[in-house]
Amino acid sequence: MTDLTPAQRAERLEHQLHGHGHVDPEEMDATIAEAESASGNYPSPALGARVVARAWVSPEFRQRLLTDAVDTLSEYAPQGVPIAVLENTPGTHHVIVCTLCSCYPSGLLGNPPTWYKSFEYRSRVVREPRVVLAEFGLELSPGVALRVHDSTAEQRYLVLPLRPAGTEEWDEDRLATLVTRNSMIGTGLPIAPGSDS
Amino acid sequence: MHGFGRVPIEVNDPLFHEPWEGRVWAMWSAIGATTIDRFRFTIEQMPPAEYLASGYYERWLWAIERLAAEQGLLTGPDRPSAGTWPSPVAAAWEGRFRPGDSVRVRNAVTAGHTRVPRYLRRHIGLVERLACVWPNPGDSADSGTYGQPELVYTVAFEGGDLFGPGADHTLSADLPESDLEKV
Repeated sequence: MTDLTPAQRAERLEHQLHGHGHVDPEEMDATIAEAESASGNYPSPALGARVVARAWVSPEFRQRLLTDAVDTLSEYAPQGVPIAVLENTPGTHHVIVCTLCSCYPSGLLGNPPTWYKSFEYRSRVVREPRVVLAEFGLELSPGVALRVHDSTAEQRYLVLPLRPAGTEEWDEDRLATLVTRNSMIGTGLPIAPGSDS
Repeated sequence: MHGFGRVPIEVNDPLFHEPWEGRVWAMWSAIGATTIDRFRFTIEQMPPAEYLASGYYERWLWAIERLAAEQGLLTGPDRPSAGTWPSPVAAAWEGRFRPGDSVRVRNAVTAGHTRVPRYLRRHIGLVERLACVWPNPGDSADSGTYGQPELVYTVAFEGGDLFGPGADHTLSADLPESDLEKV
């Protein structure tokens, strides 16, 4: 047992690993900075939003995304694990979870949000998804079929949300501003044009 | 496990809530001396009460401390290899199941590692499609290296069958061929 705080234990571990040449603190700094970057060039919700917006304007791209997501997404960021895209329709809504740990389409969206890794989300969204979605402010019509995907293997999922009405004249860059992280997980919808949120 | 409350949704949550969380995350990314499956399996060794009381990166830290010792990383420069990371686009072959087949999930009780969730064991679902090919997670956790890949299927289950008549959703999961049997 130890009375050290997690921060102290992490520092001790990094020091030991560095002492034997297993980690390079400067490279770790760079890895963290890349993960925290919001530029849209590294895996992040901003990068995912660019992909979704392109799928909304290009039927050819959308088709490639749905049939061969690994190759198609590799144009944006390398995909180290299999990935599949789940297309929402007016009659079907998809939501993703990893009940066993925290599997997430990180190769495109970056690290998952903290709530995605919480016991609350992981245990409850498989059992009472409509209640959980309501906690996110998403009230699905009872007529919409709900599909929950538990990422139990190495394959990851990305939800392709429905394009909001009233955006017919919008270009790709403008559409990307409507795509939220939660809309690509299935716990939210894209921002409706003209709304404040 | 049941009994958890509302999802703790944060607005504009940071990637890491404390700098040490980022260090732990980056440490695991850097060392990679074993399989992701053995990492997950190590986290599962945490005493249950401690597991539930710890935050996400505290569980990572607990596991990396033990894996670093187990793999000899705290005593010298040598680092075991987990072998080649499997390909996400590996070609599939003829499997035992086809879309539309009814399958029962094996009751995958093991002292080792499995990715078959308890809530699906012994339930019957419909094969939707081939999900991917990937080394068996139990084998990868046990050996610490990635072995021969196996077919993994996406199987769909009725929510009402799993969770009672109030559940009107469909649930799907990706399960290894060796954990499924035809019915």
